[in-house]
Amino acid sequence: MEEKTITLINQIAQLEVLADAIESLSAEWEIPMSISLNLNLVLEELVTNIIFYGYEDADEHKILIHLSFTANILHVRIEDDAKEFNPLLQSEPDVSAPIETREIGGLGIHFVRKIMDDMEYQRIDNTNVLKLRKKIT
Amino acid sequence: MDLTESKKGNYLVVKVAGRLDTSNFGELEKRLLENIEKGEKEIVIDCSELNYISSSGLRVFLMVLKKVSATGGHLHLCCLQDTISEIFEIAGFNSIFKIFVTLEEATK
Repeated sequence: MEEKTITLINQIAQLEVLADAIESLSAEWEIPMSISLNLNLVLEELVTNIIFYGYEDADEHKILIHLSFTANILHVRIEDDAKEFNPLLQSEPDVSAPIETREIGGLGIHFVRKIMDDMEYQRIDNTNVLKLRKKIT
Repeated sequence: MDLTESKKGNYLVVKVAGRLDTSNFGELEKRLLENIEKGEKEIVIDCSELNYISSSGLRVFLMVLKKVSATGGHLHLCCLQDTISEIFEIAGFNSIFKIFVTLEEATK
């Protein structure tokens, strides 16, 4: 099946473009609503991290999200020219801490780990390449 | 996202409808903080029409929970859709929030 690409720029308002693109792709590929929303969540968390923490200049940058769906496996590949960031090295948040010490940091990557089946990171030249997979049953 | 406020007994009920994400969580945060400053201590967030939440939205819920708890108040959540429930579970939020099935129970 052909690969689809969502091209975003590094502005938070682009999350709407992302949500619309995921919705129409899910309809086309007949991906259930619950999985589609979770995919949207995973991509929002990753893209938000890139936009907030990835760039040291104020220039416009592209973030590419490539998606394909074959043999019940959804493949996602995110490419950006932000500074090196390997989500696999991020520590896990304590999701059983009491209210007083509960923190929200790290929850985004925690969602990615829990929702997707696997995750692979590479730094190629000046590009972060993050590959994610999820089996859809 | 649409926000609707109403009073039910002692409770301020804030209904959040649509998508709560990094592009709009500030709106909800501001509205809830204004109400807390006005003296509201018993708050219910009605999630019956909330169909998407990301960590930015969860951050607002957690911040409000900490604030009202510190003043002796309560934050109740109600009517979570299945997809939102799943996210709460992954986040470990089920153990720190009081979550009710209906608005009636949440405002009892």
